[in-house]
Amino acid sequence: MQFFFEVLIGGLLSGVMYSLVALGFVLIYKASGVFNFAQSAMVFFAALTYVGLLEVGLSPWLAVPATLVVMIVLALAIERVVLRPLVNQPQITLFMATIGLTFFIEGLAQMVWGANVRGLDLGLADEPIGWLNENAGINVSKFDVAAAAVAAILVTALALFFNRTRIGRALRAVADDHQAALAVGIPLKQIWAIVWSVAGAVALVAGLLWGARNGVQYALTFVALKALPVLILGGFDSVPGAIVCGLIVGASEKLAEVYLGPYVGGGIEGWFPYVLALGFLLIRPEGLFGEKIIRRI
Amino acid sequence: MFYREAGQFKTSYDADLAIFPIRQDLIGVLGILAVAFVVVPLTATPYVFTGILIPFLILSLAALGLNILTGYAGQLSLGTAAFMAVGAFASYNFVLRVPGIPMLLAFAGGGVVAALVGVLFGLPSLRIRGFYLAVATLAAQFFILWFLTKVGWITNYSSSGVITAQPIQILGYAFNTPQAKYLLILSVVALMALAAKNMARSNVGRSWMAVRDMDVAAEVIGIRLMPAKLLAFAVSSFYCGVAGALFAYAYLGTVEPEAFSLDLSFRVLFMVIIGGVGTVLGSFLGSAFVTLLPVLLSVTVRYLDSNLGLHIPESVISNLELMLFGGFIIFFLIVEPHGLARLWQIAKEKLRLWPFPH
Amino acid sequence: MNPQRRTGEVVLQLERISLSFGGVKALTGISFDVREHEIRAIIGPNGAGKSSMLNVINGVYHPQEGTVTFRGEVRREMNPHRAAAQGIARTFQNIALFKGMSVLDNIMTGRNLKMRSTFLEQAIHVGRARREELENRRRVEEVIDFLEIQHIRRTPVGRLPYGLQKRVELARALASEPSLLLLDEPMAGMNVEEKQDMCRFILDVNEQYGTTVVLIEHDMGVVMDISDRVVVLDYGRKIGDGSPDDVRGDKAVIDAYLGVAH
Repeated sequence: MQFFFEVLIGGLLSGVMYSLVALGFVLIYKASGVFNFAQSAMVFFAALTYVGLLEVGLSPWLAVPATLVVMIVLALAIERVVLRPLVNQPQITLFMATIGLTFFIEGLAQMVWGANVRGLDLGLADEPIGWLNENAGINVSKFDVAAAAVAAILVTALALFFNRTRIGRALRAVADDHQAALAVGIPLKQIWAIVWSVAGAVALVAGLLWGARNGVQYALTFVALKALPVLILGGFDSVPGAIVCGLIVGASEKLAEVYLGPYVGGGIEGWFPYVLALGFLLIRPEGLFGEKIIRRI
Repeated sequence: MFYREAGQFKTSYDADLAIFPIRQDLIGVLGILAVAFVVVPLTATPYVFTGILIPFLILSLAALGLNILTGYAGQLSLGTAAFMAVGAFASYNFVLRVPGIPMLLAFAGGGVVAALVGVLFGLPSLRIRGFYLAVATLAAQFFILWFLTKVGWITNYSSSGVITAQPIQILGYAFNTPQAKYLLILSVVALMALAAKNMARSNVGRSWMAVRDMDVAAEVIGIRLMPAKLLAFAVSSFYCGVAGALFAYAYLGTVEPEAFSLDLSFRVLFMVIIGGVGTVLGSFLGSAFVTLLPVLLSVTVRYLDSNLGLHIPESVISNLELMLFGGFIIFFLIVEPHGLARLWQIAKEKLRLWPFPH
Repeated sequence: MNPQRRTGEVVLQLERISLSFGGVKALTGISFDVREHEIRAIIGPNGAGKSSMLNVINGVYHPQEGTVTFRGEVRREMNPHRAAAQGIARTFQNIALFKGMSVLDNIMTGRNLKMRSTFLEQAIHVGRARREELENRRRVEEVIDFLEIQHIRRTPVGRLPYGLQKRVELARALASEPSLLLLDEPMAGMNVEEKQDMCRFILDVNEQYGTTVVLIEHDMGVVMDISDRVVVLDYGRKIGDGSPDDVRGDKAVIDAYLGVAH
């Protein structure tokens, strides 16, 4: 039974990190209707930039803000070069543009910083929490808990930002209807720049956490790709959906691997979330929290 | 003045329906085919065959398959490589376990198995669309590769999951030279491209495009969505399956499931986007672009190295390739979303007026 | 008006149709019939439920109550494919053409139910597939001649002006040789000449092919001129049913249009 809890909690905590990546997707989708396939590449890019800056000699206290600046510059560049020319194009075109962006960012990241695998040390040890281990016999990593805490803070901050500030309100307006938002004087370009920058910041946090956990390497992009099933389950435009379903995906994939895996030779983590999402789509196409799509003729 | 339609009147619907109604087009295409079938085998070097022409043709076939699904029927798919893998491994098993089976039949069999798998993974398209469908096809991509690695029977219990494709033997004749393989692939691809073009301009192609453009209206005029979508998945996967079989037998030789990774799916998607979504010509142009770009890059690098002493490390080149692909996709989507095929069309229209500007 | 036109038996019967979307009641207890070979107009202020009514007839919407009887077959819910197979064709208020295809291809899709060849035969393009393609092309060309759109055959429909798009949509509907034609505001957004052309086409279709026509229209002149009988809807209910003259003078109808509170 303890083992079950360990796996469950471990899964939930890795799910937290999926949520973070999914959060970046949702932010951009909510504010511009663009399904940003490149989000996982941005996570990779952020992580790589951070360790790269460390290698060049920056202290961690400088490297984090520096990476943030880089992400913001990247966001602005994306808005200017990719999004603005494609403003009225159908969603599918923008989606394919973000696929192109994925490859561009991945290539750029590796070209600038090299493709070696690097470790990322955030000063948090991946050790079991002492008293939990001794008293209940459950192994829960300190690191995972810290990651969950960070994610919780981030989500709260974003929720406050969206719901309480003027900019947040403007973002929600833009997400609803571009034309109407323009009509009331909301500066679309600035809004998009802000949104992509915030998404970049979220990618940075996700990148740091994932990188510390798994090492910074190209495979990070695949891990981040797992955010897609999270979005399917949670709906593309729902922040609570991204959180809850990130947890669900993380937990279920670990549980499936441990309990179902041995029967089929293992390795099901790679596809289980996708098949789960697929099954879900058949029952509820808009996800747990998404808006029901009504088509008029 | 050379490319004029004037004087070419069609006196029957049959003539009007021809694939190349303008005589100059027909002559051009026949010329290209003549060069491809006769001149190239006599003049090209083995490197050109194995490094450029063979992958170009095979991937054109895969791009054709993806185009049928995504371009004509509008169902976005990121699982192309997985269906190619099914075709490859299925063909392998046919050749292995059915003694004396003609190889072409084995390839076709691989295509049929891929088609069935395609229909299975296409079932969700009846309820979901757009990006959601793309994610569902990712499920196919990851699951199928895992399945092929795990189920030992498929790889004949080889320890590393690697199979060695048997040498191609058709009617007693061994296709083991690059030239022979090239001609075989060329013939298969040419026939299948013709079939695709025929389907595109017939009822089935129009039904697919109707489903793509406005499925509710398609239903109202009597097109049944489920059969249309599933047929698109089936035909598309058949094409990808055959391409996969050819990939394994005539190009790779030793095949492992990883050769059909997500990376390959994206590569084929790029071909379709850059070449022109929803066109047969686009599949070829896109494949040429994606196949030639790395070649061009390495030639340029070698030139810079030997002539200017500028040595660019290997890692930089491969990353530059990624960046260029990504950049070109974005470029094309901004400048000409319909890809190279449309650019070609525009060029032809200008040529029709040449030397007059308008 | 054409008093000599022979209208036949009742071919379409709608009884107590009620349709709602969530809490919004689009149609309440509507009953009327349509006779063969007639031109029946559905009129009413905006939002009265006219398009919803057409959608129920050809099965795009399923009513919560009531029945649709077409050619004697009682049906609780139509489905679009069955409706098309039974000879019902329609056009839409916001043009539902396939924007990625040419005019010719769009109209050819209208003939898809007439084609029997399989995709394999079409891939090889010989024998039955080829014969069918040519035969259907011939029929489609007849429709193109009829609606005078030969000059735009190869144009992608997305590039055509609104009026021509509407004509192409009509052509696609006609291509399936329907016995019942449902037209949703076929003359919306047209100028006087275009409207006259459209009226002429509708009358010709009705006279030459005997097609029964049900049309939604706002232009009263058109309605009075070409229809045999009229149904009036307001707020999802039927408030008038009869010949154009009857309906014109009906107090309830006039009130509805003038917006008298009720």
